Amino acid sequence: MVNGGLHEVDVPVGTTLADALRDVLGLTGTKIACGEGHCGACTVQLDGVPVLSCITLVHTVGEREVTTIEGLREHPLVQAFVEADATQCGFCTPGQIVSAAALLAATPRPGHDEIVHAMSGNLCRCGTYPKIERAIEAVAAENRGG
Amino acid sequence: MARLIRTEKEVEGRYTEQWVVVEEDVLEQWPEGPLQTVGRPATRVDGLARARGEARYTQDLRLPGMLHAAVLRSPHARARVTRLDLEPAMAMAGIRGVIGPSDLEPLTNEPNYEGEAVAAVAADTVAQARAAVEAIDVEWEVLEPLLDAEQALAQKSFVTNPRDYERGDVERGLAEADAVVEAEYRTQSVLHNALETHQSACEWEGDTLVVYTSTQFLWGVRDEVAKAFQLPKDKVRVICRFMGGGFGAKGSAGDYTMIAAELAKRTGRPVHCRLDRREENVNSGNRNPTIQKLRLGARSDGTLTAIDAEYECLLGWDGWLPPTAGPAQMLYACENVRTVERGVRLNTPPMDAFRAPGFVEGTFGLECALDELAAKLDLDPLEVRRRNHADHDPMDERPFSAKELMECYRRAEPHWERRHEVRARSEGPVQRGVGLATQLWYGGGGPPSYAWVRLGGDGTVTVVTAMQDIGTGTRTAMAQIAAEELGIPLERVTVELGDTAHGPYAVVSGGSSTTPSMGPAVRSAAADVGRQLIEIAAQRFETEERVLRLENGKIVSDLGGSWAIEDITGLLEDGQILGNGARGPNPTGMRVLTFGIQVAEVAVDMETGEVVVERIYAVHDVGRVINPLGAESQIEGGIIQAIGHTLSEKRLLDPQTGKVLTRTLDSYKLPTFADVPEIVAELVDKPDAHLTNLGSKGLGEPPIVPTAAAIVNAIRDATGADVREIPVDRETMLRALAEAREREKRGAPAAV
Amino acid sequence: MELRQPSSLADVDGGLPLAGGTEVVPLLRDGLVEAETLVDIRAVVPKGVSGTTIGAGTLLAELEADPEIPSALREACRLAASPQLRSMGTIGGNLLQATRCWYWRLKYPCFLHGGSTCHARQGEHREHAIFGNEQCASAHPSDPAAALLAVGATVRTDRRELPIGELYRLPTEDDRNVTALEPGELILELEVPRPEASHYLKAMDRARWAFPLVGVAAARFGDGVRLALAGVAPIPWALDSADALEQATPLPGTAYKVELARPLIRRALDAIA
Ligand SMILES: Cc1cc2nc3c(=O)[nH]c(=O)nc-3n(C[C@H](O)[C@H](O)[C@H](O)COP(=O)(O)OP(=O)(O)OC[C@H]3O[C@@H](n4cnc5c(N)ncnc54)[C@H](O)[C@@H]3O)c2cc1C
Ligand code: SF4
Ligand code: FES
Ligand code: FES
Repeated sequence: MVNGGLHEVDVPVGTTLADALRDVLGLTGTKIACGEGHCGACTVQLDGVPVLSCITLVHTVGEREVTTIEGLREHPLVQAFVEADATQCGFCTPGQIVSAAALLAATPRPGHDEIVHAMSGNLCRCGTYPKIERAIEAVAAENRGG
Repeated sequence: MARLIRTEKEVEGRYTEQWVVVEEDVLEQWPEGPLQTVGRPATRVDGLARARGEARYTQDLRLPGMLHAAVLRSPHARARVTRLDLEPAMAMAGIRGVIGPSDLEPLTNEPNYEGEAVAAVAADTVAQARAAVEAIDVEWEVLEPLLDAEQALAQKSFVTNPRDYERGDVERGLAEADAVVEAEYRTQSVLHNALETHQSACEWEGDTLVVYTSTQFLWGVRDEVAKAFQLPKDKVRVICRFMGGGFGAKGSAGDYTMIAAELAKRTGRPVHCRLDRREENVNSGNRNPTIQKLRLGARSDGTLTAIDAEYECLLGWDGWLPPTAGPAQMLYACENVRTVERGVRLNTPPMDAFRAPGFVEGTFGLECALDELAAKLDLDPLEVRRRNHADHDPMDERPFSAKELMECYRRAEPHWERRHEVRARSEGPVQRGVGLATQLWYGGGGPPSYAWVRLGGDGTVTVVTAMQDIGTGTRTAMAQIAAEELGIPLERVTVELGDTAHGPYAVVSGGSSTTPSMGPAVRSAAADVGRQLIEIAAQRFETEERVLRLENGKIVSDLGGSWAIEDITGLLEDGQILGNGARGPNPTGMRVLTFGIQVAEVAVDMETGEVVVERIYAVHDVGRVINPLGAESQIEGGIIQAIGHTLSEKRLLDPQTGKVLTRTLDSYKLPTFADVPEIVAELVDKPDAHLTNLGSKGLGEPPIVPTAAAIVNAIRDATGADVREIPVDRETMLRALAEAREREKRGAPAAV
Repeated sequence: MELRQPSSLADVDGGLPLAGGTEVVPLLRDGLVEAETLVDIRAVVPKGVSGTTIGAGTLLAELEADPEIPSALREACRLAASPQLRSMGTIGGNLLQATRCWYWRLKYPCFLHGGSTCHARQGEHREHAIFGNEQCASAHPSDPAAALLAVGATVRTDRRELPIGELYRLPTEDDRNVTALEPGELILELEVPRPEASHYLKAMDRARWAFPLVGVAAARFGDGVRLALAGVAPIPWALDSADALEQATPLPGTAYKVELARPLIRRALDAIA
């Protein structure tokens, strides 16, 4: 299951989830920046939990629900990232939003330490971290309101 | 009107004298302060595309029939290929093309650093291409690499001739000093690590070569590729609409572009050549390490009497000599200055520009030494900086086009005052301290740079120029400038960029030059449209042009009355109003620079050597600020990169083989979310009255310049330990602390 | 390559075990391990915490949030790797992760790879060992392993039970393995005693997501105290007492780790006193 739709992919064993998403399903919103589990750019959710798609073998995904940035386009975080200027080159941004969305789903009103802890697996070379925190806080504040 | 002038052109501190044809810049600057759109926070016009994952980067290209390249790179720092058989690769599944040293310029039989390209293949899939590279039959004669800086110096192994500079008499200056600091500082090699790796996809369309590439300089790539393939320049079309970071290292075409183009030519299919993270960290440039020997002298009141500085810049096999001595030469009004910069050639991967090349390294040594000097004289470091303020360019007496450094110092004062309270919060083994450092850098931009603006029948405006937005938000800044000039809301402006076939020449996005070069061109193009709009309006409403102006989406008459812009554009139907704009010349006889100061607060664990940066205050003078929101992001980003440089990032080479050991992001440690301090960023935001119709300078680089020195000065304030090398890892910190204790035991006073 | 997904232990028949895959997948990619057959063991290895037993398939992310397990282990899991990696990686896989020695990862033909020299000893070794480093100077990267060693955990495999200290061995001339597991042997569960107090401290190059330069686990049982260190030897390293640090044999570039371990040990001991 990817973003609510069922897909079956026919690829050799050893193919990663990231490659299957990008090359087979054409979902290029998920970025690859290291391809070896060291940066977080390729983060997607598996049953709501953020994982690294570049080191997940697609054959182990099974029936689990994969959520990529394409499935989160209407998430309030997307607008919040834009408002807060939390994207510079934007290459890490999809992964950041996927991680942040999982954090907010588990902890609707995270404090500073919780944000840092949950987001420390997504590197941003442009240094958007302060703005990402602001974006997450903005959505958390809406959660508080509603 | 076009004018031919001879002018100094500067990119990242490299000056060349050249003829340029420039357009007169007839527009008056806007008044100071926030205007309708310019000077007010704007969210990125392309933010949504990036955040939704819709932005297509070079990595995301899926051209029909596209092949993938892989490159055989030298595993040795210095070697000779004694046998190379490409046949086995050609026989592999999915292989469509193979090239070796005799086929293409950057491929070589005699690699002089690890990662130099030897051969390349194109295949249906990346995996097939990689497998084929493995299958190439190659034998190496491994040669002894030159890795040791001292040995290289002794052999005079230089990439370029050493650069000497002298004013006054340094020895006399030192003799006159009441205190002298003599010390050696070292900076490490750091790796850019833009998250999108270097890559290009090339496709031949008839006799035109289309290059999709992750670049900071479309036009530079065009020229390089055209030259290499002996094509008329405009037979090369270079496209980059979204790019995932560069930080200086994506200023030229790179071997991957040439390889993709050649393989595309041979196979008749598009070819994508993408470096992986490891190739990236070996092969795509680095900030070169430096060894800096400094002697600074000052009188008891803090007046600098001499700066004597020697810089060994370990460039690797190739590259250019960054202006490492720039801060020593220009930052302070010191009469006696002597600098020597040597660009040492070693069998290590070549350096490339990295955000304020030279100045980051040079500022570290100079600003640390200055604090050590202030401590010896028992003077306030901020006072010492004020005392040595340069009122004009100390190198050639030229006036500055604008300089608000004193204002920066004034604004930093309350943050500097916090030191008493910060120090008082030390407890147990955790000592706290505050340090500061001054920044100077170029950032004035220059001609040539052009823009077109078109206004359509529906009243929307499109800015067209073949520049690139490398993540710094220039797309947004250009939209703001056009909106401001035409008095329309930002939402009505679209910016089309990133394609040399669709728009005029634009400057490299490096050296903080994009906004100060492109902004004035966009403004004059928009003004051209505005002028025509008013011409038409004057006729339509039977009034005089000089009483009309554009404001809030309306044409307003001084005589009363106003009309919606659509009242005029509606008359156009399919017609368009087209405007041309060019960047005018820089002010003659003036030095255009950016300035600033940062104040760092740190906590140091005296037992474990852990350094935590707790707060950074930054204030910079970059003339008029177009987008305060984007500017704040630039400052934060620069500071965060600098924190990596200062504390955790270091390229390690194997001392025997010269091979890069830290090529993956688990061993090369970029700052994470958890490494970020509180950052308070301010800008003076005063237009440079002499610079262009905007008075704006670039902000890409200034914020990364002073951070390392500010942090290390704060460490000294907290601990009394002299750290003279970055990164300040546990080993470095613990050693400096032990030395400080040792010194104290011997009775010598600590530096504080 | 083939992937098997057995549903019971009995169906497991050779092949390279794959749990979270955070180690296995990159190692395969780099050719550092080779396998015809991968065995997805997630369905056959127990997971979850029950009493003092921890299933080898339990994720680090679960352990970092479990209030019942010893706090040293909880903290070691919390400070290991990154959130995504903790949500993928299992405790069993963590104990069996390979060294991060850059020479080994870049396939230098070093001692641990079956060669005759240790390139790190002559070369760059700032992240390397201060104990047990005569032949291979690598530093064991697991935080949780040090915590489990300090609390005296027992490892139950599909074939035997052994104290966690015996799971690891220094590589020798004849056998370059750093664990005592037999080929195909699976870790099923960990038996984790409850100390009266325990604590884990970790020094790293950045605030998060780095392997330990030095990790110190301390646990108190009655009057007895047990100490174990991560990042200081090719295997998790138990120390009889703080004084045992003086027996370290650091390399020129790892001497600082001795200085670093000293205050961390003292602080960990203070925390459990
Ligand atoms: C970038 C990065 C940073 C990291 N940082 C840290 C850190 O700071 N501290 C730390 O402690 N760890 C760290 N880790 C290690 C991480 O915690 C482990 O990779 C993870 O826990 C391994 O679990 P896994 O289930 O993914 O193992 P897998 O990759 O599936 O397997 C690892 C190995 O164990 C074998 N194996 C797995 N389960 C069993 C079993 N039950 N029985 C027998 N054999 C088995 C596999 O065959 C393989 O050889 C880091 C990893 C990465 C990639
Ligand atoms: S430390 Fe061990 S793994 Fe690293 S080079 Fe030496 S022998 Fe090899
Ligand atoms: S691309 Fe997957 S972690 Fe870097
Ligand atoms: S925005 Fe460029 S890497 Fe994060």
